Amino acid sequence: MTTLRSVRGLIAMHLLLIRFSFRSSMQYRFNFWFGTIASAVIASVEFSLLAVILARFGAIQGWTLTESAYLYAVLVLAKALYRSLASDVHHLEKYLVSGDLDGLLLRPVPVLLALMTRNFSVRVGETLLGASMLAYSLAALARDGAIELWVALPLTLAAVVNGALLLFGIGLATAAMGFWMTRIEVLQNMTEDAAHTAVRYPLSIYPGWLKALLSTALPVAFVNYWPAMFILKGAVGGWTLALSAAASAAALAAGGWLWSRGLRSYQSTGS
Amino acid sequence: MVFFALARASFSRNLQYRASHLLHNGASAMFGFIYLSIWIGIGEGRDLGEYGLSGLVSYVALNQCLLWVTSFTTFGLGMPQLVRTGAIAIELARPVHLFYSMMSREWGTIAYQLLYKSLPIYLLYVFLVPLRLPAGLAETAAFFAALLCAAYLALCIQYLIGAVSLWTTEAMWLHWVNNALLMLFSGFLVPIEWLPGWLAWLSRWSFYPSLQYIPTRIYLGMDGIAAVLPSLAWCAALTALCFAATGAMRRRTEVQGG
Repeated sequence: MTTLRSVRGLIAMHLLLIRFSFRSSMQYRFNFWFGTIASAVIASVEFSLLAVILARFGAIQGWTLTESAYLYAVLVLAKALYRSLASDVHHLEKYLVSGDLDGLLLRPVPVLLALMTRNFSVRVGETLLGASMLAYSLAALARDGAIELWVALPLTLAAVVNGALLLFGIGLATAAMGFWMTRIEVLQNMTEDAAHTAVRYPLSIYPGWLKALLSTALPVAFVNYWPAMFILKGAVGGWTLALSAAASAAALAAGGWLWSRGLRSYQSTGS
Repeated sequence: MVFFALARASFSRNLQYRASHLLHNGASAMFGFIYLSIWIGIGEGRDLGEYGLSGLVSYVALNQCLLWVTSFTTFGLGMPQLVRTGAIAIELARPVHLFYSMMSREWGTIAYQLLYKSLPIYLLYVFLVPLRLPAGLAETAAFFAALLCAAYLALCIQYLIGAVSLWTTEAMWLHWVNNALLMLFSGFLVPIEWLPGWLAWLSRWSFYPSLQYIPTRIYLGMDGIAAVLPSLAWCAALTALCFAATGAMRRRTEVQGG
């Protein structure tokens, strides 16, 4: 009962802090809207690169344009959800270098929660883009009889939520390394930026070792590729979905463990 | 000379972080590897026109190396930060033109990135990918001329982005949009003649091909030195724009307090 109450308390606090953060960002209304539009432009330009290639050459290793759009949409939605919910966890380095984390330690809120709610943004642009791409892709695939919409849609939404948790777990584990390394930009470049870029494209184009890496140690392929192999292609069994859930649970556990260990060994930058 | 003093200073400042930067090159090479995998995945058994698979692999690999000179220049040449702290007023008051001093500093950074970022990745790709060596001495000279234009254009673009921050307080988004457009229109991943109709048209009439497509084609021996002409025209046009922006910035800046 006490746990339930404390969880409810945390959620209420989360919502309150998000409201504060949202109100403060709305003080710069122009920047807010410009940022929203810009992020949608960026995501659509990124996809159009792949679309241009696919429109010219048909398919990459058995993945058509509609199927690739699905992979891309699931990734964009999962990432948007992750970055909305975890916001400044990705920017921990800034707090560590400037010493601003000390201020957060003094607040009567868990540090992680404080970081998660700072500079909150809804990522409207990416969400709209991802949702419309997903709608296009699912509609086209259902029309061709490749999928049953009423089965694929709920599974896809579950994959998006699971993917967001997985990306959060990896992001949290990477950020937590900052407690020991301080500078984590390079590490984030590998585990987040490069990894996200890699799974924008079907995993089947990569050599064996990279496929293995993205499915085990850095399991980003479970965000979109492996769920899609079941939901769209039926090429693997339903156990891949269970495996995806296990991957995100493992990533979250690793992230949480590293975070609590790291926070305990935090030494301020102070002079 | 002011130019060399400023350029050397920013070169040395970057040099302080070279160990961390070399590590960063690993991540950058990884990105290139992802892009290469796409083309290797597609290229099997397909006709890739005048490039051929090995040519296209060299094309993409070289483009990845060039990013450090043509795209990963300093955000707004550091001007958004100066705007935020108010130091831009001091910069504008210096006896050296703002564009000239900002440009001189950035050349130091560009030279550093060419040596410590582009070159190591280039060597890695030459041995691993493999990325072709340039066809001959004349091609190499023409390539460097095109690269010089590309670096200068990249610098002008960042100056203009930096100038915008005087009006919008925040210009990071503009920087990211510019990077995204560069990926599409510069021929970075897909040669511009393969873009569909209107995208190819937009690309041809923009400065983006001068950043990646033109230097790379010259390097691969597919175009001659004459291909640099549009780059030169863009250099002149953007220089004029940068000077006009500086004028507007002077009028915009308000110095408060005593």
